[in-house]
Amino acid sequence: MTERNYTTVNPCVMCQPMGSVMAFKGIENSMVLMHGSQGCSTYMRLHLAHHFREPVDIASTSLSERGAVYGGSENLKKGLKNVMSRYHPKVIGVTTTCLAETIGDDVGRILQEFREEEKDAEDVHIISVSTPSYEESHATGYLRAVEAIVRYFTESGVSKDIFNNKLNVVLGENIAPEDIREIKRILSSNVGPRSFIFTPDTSETFDAPMTGKAEKIFPGGTPLAEIADMKNCAASIGLGITSDNKAIDYLEGKYNVPAKRVPMPIGLEYSDRFLATLSEITGTEVPEMYKKERGRLIDAMVDVHKYLYGTRVAIYGDPEMVLGLLSLSLENGMYPVLVSPSCKTPAFKEHAQERIDRMNLDCDVKMLEGLDFDAFNDAVKEANPEMLIGNSNGKYISQQMRIPLMRVGFPIHDRVGAQRILMMGYRGTMSMIDRITNTILEAKDIELEEKWLQKKENNIPGSCCDCTPAHAHLH
Amino acid sequence: MPEITNVVNTLEERKPYIALKQKVKGETFLACDNTSIAGAMSQRACVYSGARVALNPVTDAVHLVHGPIGCASYTWDIRGSKSSGKETYRTSFSTDMKEIDVVFGGEKKLAKAIDELVELYKPPVVFVYSTCIVGIIGDDLEAVCKDASERNGIPVIPVKSEGFKGTKSDGYKAACEALKVLIGTKEGDIKSPYRINLIGEFNVAGDVWLVKPLFEEMGIQVVTSLTGDSTTESISQCHIAQLNLVQCTGSMTTLAKWMKEEYGIPFKKISYFGIEDLSIALRETAAFFDSEEMKQKAEEIIARETAKIMPEIQRIRSRLEGKRAAIYMGGAAKALTLIKGFRELGMEVVIIGTQTGKRDDYLQISYEVKDGTVIVDDANPLELAELLVKQNADLMVAGVKERFLAYKVGVAFCDFNHDRVVEFEGFEGFLNFAREMDSSINSPVWKATKSNISDSINANNISSKACKSENIPVTRIDNIHEDAAITRGMEA
Repeated sequence: MTERNYTTVNPCVMCQPMGSVMAFKGIENSMVLMHGSQGCSTYMRLHLAHHFREPVDIASTSLSERGAVYGGSENLKKGLKNVMSRYHPKVIGVTTTCLAETIGDDVGRILQEFREEEKDAEDVHIISVSTPSYEESHATGYLRAVEAIVRYFTESGVSKDIFNNKLNVVLGENIAPEDIREIKRILSSNVGPRSFIFTPDTSETFDAPMTGKAEKIFPGGTPLAEIADMKNCAASIGLGITSDNKAIDYLEGKYNVPAKRVPMPIGLEYSDRFLATLSEITGTEVPEMYKKERGRLIDAMVDVHKYLYGTRVAIYGDPEMVLGLLSLSLENGMYPVLVSPSCKTPAFKEHAQERIDRMNLDCDVKMLEGLDFDAFNDAVKEANPEMLIGNSNGKYISQQMRIPLMRVGFPIHDRVGAQRILMMGYRGTMSMIDRITNTILEAKDIELEEKWLQKKENNIPGSCCDCTPAHAHLH
Repeated sequence: MPEITNVVNTLEERKPYIALKQKVKGETFLACDNTSIAGAMSQRACVYSGARVALNPVTDAVHLVHGPIGCASYTWDIRGSKSSGKETYRTSFSTDMKEIDVVFGGEKKLAKAIDELVELYKPPVVFVYSTCIVGIIGDDLEAVCKDASERNGIPVIPVKSEGFKGTKSDGYKAACEALKVLIGTKEGDIKSPYRINLIGEFNVAGDVWLVKPLFEEMGIQVVTSLTGDSTTESISQCHIAQLNLVQCTGSMTTLAKWMKEEYGIPFKKISYFGIEDLSIALRETAAFFDSEEMKQKAEEIIARETAKIMPEIQRIRSRLEGKRAAIYMGGAAKALTLIKGFRELGMEVVIIGTQTGKRDDYLQISYEVKDGTVIVDDANPLELAELLVKQNADLMVAGVKERFLAYKVGVAFCDFNHDRVVEFEGFEGFLNFAREMDSSINSPVWKATKSNISDSINANNISSKACKSENIPVTRIDNIHEDAAITRGMEA
């Protein structure tokens, strides 16, 4: 396909407000009010509901022509009031859209007025985030919202300046509820069950147990008091290294909370780095249980090394996840011939290159940031991978080129269980390795089965020695 | 005046939009057809979404979204309509407007984008959708499209769908306006003395392919279906039809009315869902052409196809008798035809609502449903959840957003929107629908949602008799707390 300069065909990214919603959904008792036209919130609800298979409520200020001409103040205030009276949230995240930004609403001033006019609003924390859809992507929307939330609560004076000796763990990219549960399990036993503050925590809100009741706001999320207490922590860990985690930068700069930045714990090396960092911070040994898990992971790696070595793989999706999976594929001898994070970040290339350089790779690695799927399609053709790892939007390429796709990340709209995909820590890495290997084995089975059938049909003499189905070859 | 009831707990301002049908009060007038209330959590989308769902199924067109990336991202191939030919419509095209375009205007980028896509994809038509931001910065879409049209020698049609300029219904109108530009631009290929268009039919899951053959068997040429499985070519010549059958009246009546004025083609409102409505559609069409042969053929088809599915329908019906359904649809036409469909399966409707129904629609709905049914316009999740419980519904028919809401309150669900993968129209389609009702409502999973751990011991059934509590010697595990403490200690 010829070079395109003016159009995006099959986008890999979503707009900033989407990221903001994902961050707020990880905060206790919070609702999002999207300042824009009715469609934005509905589309994002659809997108999220499809992926997490949960009801997702996002309110909208439903701006109409009138609002666009005379300003959205009236709608914003009414929206806040209605959300308060119907949902009784403790937090309302007001996130803007392209419409609100372009008509030039001064959201800060409107909120100020609202607080003065409404007595009831005193108990509600209203946090505004500027997330114009024409800037950057959902990935930055997430970081912006996390920063806004942390700034708001640490500055609010809810919490006194008393050292709490806890550890902050702040996400730099939205991850699956299952991964959050796993990281919290690791933190519970390596740091102590009550000695860490995890933000934002969507493990319950995006994957709520069935109770037979429709909750207005699903229980769970990082407690507000804990967020306020983040400034009193002993240290912070930012999960994700491709973009600046402004929330922990801020805590470090303003409250002297020393910050460590580690990659998402995907793969052996990055999981090691996470646990070693925890051990360094707490000054304690990594518990025996995790050493056993690590041992089991390495055992699994040994079991599959022949299948994985030299397997050409294309990895795409959000940058932190892609970096982690790149590391995982490298340490298992795979050839990551194409690595394509959904958006451009300050440090992806540098970290990825550093990781690649340490390997004695016998292939070229193409690193392309911020492509659309059409361009990615061309890149796949050129790189000729045997397997794709990424979200479900790669299904068209997978189907057309008949390359197996292992679904991870966001969004996954055509398979179940997206919220329960585990890829972090030793256990998560093990599950990834099993899935990758089984995908390869299945593909080989099919390939050999087809060859066998074809030979049978053509009735080629002497083919019987080759015609044993796939399984026999793979031991 | 609407009957103000306290059917459900909601905002004061929302109350006129919800009513309970009662015998003595006469006609039920519902507030409707307004923009949604800020913060009320409407299930509706925007003008752009209306235009997009109505127009997107045109299979060989390039559907270019002029706006920031999100609008294209969230609507990439979500329609669920099938194509028997080209698949261009399943590709998402966007001008991906950035801040610089917002400041300096996006016209130049748009013009170049169109040229680029025409060169790469060689489409017979380009639809250019405007989004919120275009309406604010004031890009002259019409002028850009007109120039691009002349430059490239194909129709480049603006779809005026700025998200904030009205409701989803206005988006439908914008889509119809765009279609008008195409209609009548080609001479028609007349193959039969009897010709119709299937308007407001989107070929979700391949519905059209179960309906079109029925008309063809009656000797009728189906010129196009709008817009499901349609092509630029078939739309351009659809003015040769003598009759328009309009199914999704909410989205496409505007177009049918225009074709009546412009080309003198009358239209009929019909539905291909359910045995009764489908039979009416076939009979009325035959009656319109006033051909005895065709009328006979229609009866033959109805008798033959009904006989084919009836034994199975009856078997399923016995499993569904008396079950209570909730309907929440985008448009009123589908809601109305669903009432009949449920009746044919022995089910009753206890909640019915739409996103875009008009006054007349609600009036007709109120004639069709029985007393005690709740009728609601532009409902929100909290209202729906409460209604499902209060009205004791067994199943809800709606779209994706409502699915998980229904599940959370333990109510079965059926998607009648973009997400379904089996046909519901035509005779076979109705059987599919009946089967889905059975598998949704009668799944044992709804027992699990209401169960507790202790039920397995208390349940008075044969399998648990053996381990009834009195048979088990009462033991107490004294060291259990101690064990737990040790485990915790190990983990810590």
